[in-house]
Amino acid sequence: MSNVRDCASFQDQLPSLFESGEDLSTHPHLETCENCSALVRDLEYIAQQAKLLLPIHDPSPEVWENIQTALKKEPSRVK
Amino acid sequence: MSISSKDLATTPGPTAPAKAPNQHLRRNPPIAGEAEAIQKAQAGDGPSFEILYALHKRRVYSLCLRMLGNVAEAEDLTQEAFLQLYRKIATFRGDSAFSTWLHRLAVNVVLMHLRKKGLPQVSLEETLEPSQEDGPRKDIGARDLTLSGSVDRVTLERAIENLPPGYRLVFVLHDVEGYEHNEIAGMLECSIGNSKSQLHKARMKLRDLLRSGQRKEAVL
Repeated sequence: MSNVRDCASFQDQLPSLFESGEDLSTHPHLETCENCSALVRDLEYIAQQAKLLLPIHDPSPEVWENIQTALKKEPSRVK
Repeated sequence: MSISSKDLATTPGPTAPAKAPNQHLRRNPPIAGEAEAIQKAQAGDGPSFEILYALHKRRVYSLCLRMLGNVAEAEDLTQEAFLQLYRKIATFRGDSAFSTWLHRLAVNVVLMHLRKKGLPQVSLEETLEPSQEDGPRKDIGARDLTLSGSVDRVTLERAIENLPPGYRLVFVLHDVEGYEHNEIAGMLECSIGNSKSQLHKARMKLRDLLRSGQRKEAVL
């Protein structure tokens, strides 16, 4: 059974633990702390989902029109 | 803490963001016709530059939008990024994937813009220079909804939009775009530890946002 101080200490270490790439499921604190286990699961889930975000937004056609206009004022490179 | 101009030159460095191999492939798959378009655009061929725009506009714009959270600014900076590309494409040597190189260029354009603005309104200063009591909030004894398996892409996108700008910047650079902490620290002129800390706070904040959204749905 973990106590509040254990949880605070564990959560202080979380940034380093995540960065280490260590398998946190075997961390001793998580064997006894349901709350921190849920936290770790959620944070890992968020990081995983973020990696799955793909570019989905397109700029409006005006952006290319503006680029073309601006390029006409550039020293000539584009033929 | 401020972003200084010295590390924000708009020419990408030779170092591509270090990524796990599969992530690198996912983000930079070979694109048919790209190599030829690059070569021709470097020689000044306009239609080839347009091809490059068509191939990469979505990725550059999505990056700008996620970093800035504002459509008008994101479009302006997409335009600026491609103008920078036009001016600098002759310097692309193929040391990294073109998309990686362009991506870094776009990140630098956004960071330059943020610096000129004095950084985000809620401020990188707030989020990159936490006050003493601004350590990551602890989640102790709050057994509640868990997120696993329950967050769709749109919900996550919306939650990212609602992050404070400084958190959003580090989260997008690291978790979405795949930059390493040492690269982010270099870009933002903060310590690696600070970048890690901000990322953790951003994830914690996202968790709060996502859970509060779930609670609202549960009530409805």
